[in-house]
Amino acid sequence: MSSHRTIVSSFVEGAPPGELADVLADIKTLTISNPSLVNELGPAFQKYNEEQFATVKLPGSSQQVIISSHSSLGGGRYYDVESSCSFAFDHTTQKASAVESHVLDGAQADLAKSVLKGLSTYVKEHFTNAAYGAYPIESDSKIAIIIVANKYSPNNYWNGRWRSLYIFDPASNSLEGSIKVDVHYYEDGNVRLLTSKPLTASVSSGTGAGIAKEISTSEKKYQEELNRSFTSLSEGAFKALRRQLPVTRQKIEWDKVASYRLGQDIGGGAARR
Amino acid sequence: MATADPFDSALDLLRRLNPKHTAEHLNNIITIAPDLTEDLLSSVDQPLTVRRCKQTGRDYLLCDYNRDGDSYRSPWSNQFDPPLDEAGGLGGVGAGGSNEGAGEGAVPGERVRKMEIKANEAFDVYRELYYEGGVSSVYLWNLDDGFAGVVLLKKASPQNDGSSSGVWDSIHVFEASERGRTSNYRLTSTVILSLATKGAALGEVDLSGNMTRQVEQDLPVENDESHIANIGRLVEDMELKMRNLLQEVYFGKAKDVVGDLRSIGSLSEGQRDRETQRELIGSMRR
Repeated sequence: MSSHRTIVSSFVEGAPPGELADVLADIKTLTISNPSLVNELGPAFQKYNEEQFATVKLPGSSQQVIISSHSSLGGGRYYDVESSCSFAFDHTTQKASAVESHVLDGAQADLAKSVLKGLSTYVKEHFTNAAYGAYPIESDSKIAIIIVANKYSPNNYWNGRWRSLYIFDPASNSLEGSIKVDVHYYEDGNVRLLTSKPLTASVSSGTGAGIAKEISTSEKKYQEELNRSFTSLSEGAFKALRRQLPVTRQKIEWDKVASYRLGQDIGGGAARR
Repeated sequence: MATADPFDSALDLLRRLNPKHTAEHLNNIITIAPDLTEDLLSSVDQPLTVRRCKQTGRDYLLCDYNRDGDSYRSPWSNQFDPPLDEAGGLGGVGAGGSNEGAGEGAVPGERVRKMEIKANEAFDVYRELYYEGGVSSVYLWNLDDGFAGVVLLKKASPQNDGSSSGVWDSIHVFEASERGRTSNYRLTSTVILSLATKGAALGEVDLSGNMTRQVEQDLPVENDESHIANIGRLVEDMELKMRNLLQEVYFGKAKDVVGDLRSIGSLSEGQRDRETQRELIGSMRR
C-alpha cells in the first residue's frame, strides 16, 4: 500500500498551477476502493504548497501571504513579515486560520523589511497578481526572498505560475537563486512549459533597494532571453522536425504518389537503405 | 454531483500531469487502478518506439496495432519479431490456441495487406517530403464493412549546437466504412511534440505536450488506390492544420501567458500610454 501512497503523492506534487483541486478529485475517484489513501496525503500537500509557494489570504485581509519552508514556524504555522502575523495553514484545504501577532526582531529584521519595501515597487510595476516575501533564515544569518505570480484561466484551458527564490548573504553580499516558470495549456491536449534558470549576483551596497534592483534587472533579462528562446525553438528545432510544405511548396499529388517514389529512387533520395 | 467515472478521471489526470512523462503516469495509474489497464493502453497515445526490420533492414514503428503478445509486425516484411511461434512458447501453457487467434487479428487479409504495402510506400514518400528523415509505418486491419488503420510518423532532431532538441510523433488512427462508390472516413490524429533547449543565460526550457483532433469525411472511391489517395489527403490536411496549431500554442500562447504573469515593460507606464492614446483618439474625433 505504501507504493500506492508514493504514486498518489507524486500526482499531487505534479499538479499544474491552480489545478490541485482537479488532481485531487481525480485521485479520489481512482482510489475509491481505498478511501483512506487520500487521508495519508498530508505530507504531499505540504511539500506541494511549500515548493510551489502557495498563496493564501488571511481572514479579514485582501493581502496574499506565501507558504514556504522559509516562512514556516513548524507545527503547521507560518508567518508573514509585512503584516507581522503568524497563522495556521491547512495544507489540504489551503485555508489559513488562528492568526496571531508575530513581530520580527533579530539581526536581519531591518534588512528584510527594507527588501520588502524595495520589492513592493518592482512587483507592482511588473506583476498583475503576485505575492512577495522576505524572511531571515539560517539563524538570522541570511535572507530568503520569494516572488510568486499566478494567473489562472481554466475557462480558457490555461494556467501559469512564475516563482523566484533568492538567498541573500549579508556576509558576502552575494545573491543566489532561481526563477521557474510553469505554464499549462490543455484544450484538446496537454501542453506544458517548464523552465528553470539559476542566478548568481553580487549586491555591493547590501541594501534592500540594491537587492530589489538586482532582482528587477535579472528578471527582466531572463524574460527577454526566454522570449528569444520561443523564437529560436520555433525557427530551429520545430522547423527541423517537419516542414510546413514540401520543398516544391505544393501539397502531394496523391494520385501520382507512386511516380514520386520512382523519381526518388532514380535521384538516390531514398534515405537509410 | 454524480460519481465520476474512473476511466474519465484517469484521462483527466493524464491531461493535467506533465505530458513529458505520460508513460510513467500511465503505469502509475494502472498500478492503483488495474481494472483500467486495457482501456487506458488502447486510448492513451505515447511516443513511438523504433525497431529495425530483420528481413529488410528498414526501420519501423511499434504500436498496439502491430503487436501480438510481445512480438511486433514489420510493415516492410510482414514478419513478426520475435517470430510468433517462439513468442507462443514464451506465453506458456495454453497460450497456443489464443495466440493463433490474436495472430489472425493482427495480420490483415490479402486485399487489405496489398493496400497496406501501397500505403507504406506512399507515406514513405510523404515522410521524405515533409520530414526529410524520420521513420514512417502504416498498419491496416479488416473491419466488417471496410478496413481501419494507423499512420505513424516519427522524427527526432538534435540541433548542431547540441543545445536544442525535439521529437515529433504523429499517430493517425482511421476507419474507412465502404458504402458503394463512396467511403466514410473517420480520422483521429494525435501529435506528441517535445522540445527542449538550454543555455547559460537561458537556463533550461522544456516545452512538451500532445494535441488531438478529429475529422470525418465522405469521399468518392473508384478502387483501392483511391482509398490510399483519400487517406493521404486527409492525413496531409490534418498535419498541416495541427502543425499550425502547435506553432500557435507552443510559441504564441506559452509566450503570452508568461507575459500575462510578468510584464517586461512597466505596468504603470503601459497604463499611462494607453490613457494618452485614448485621449489622442478622443481629441482627433472632436
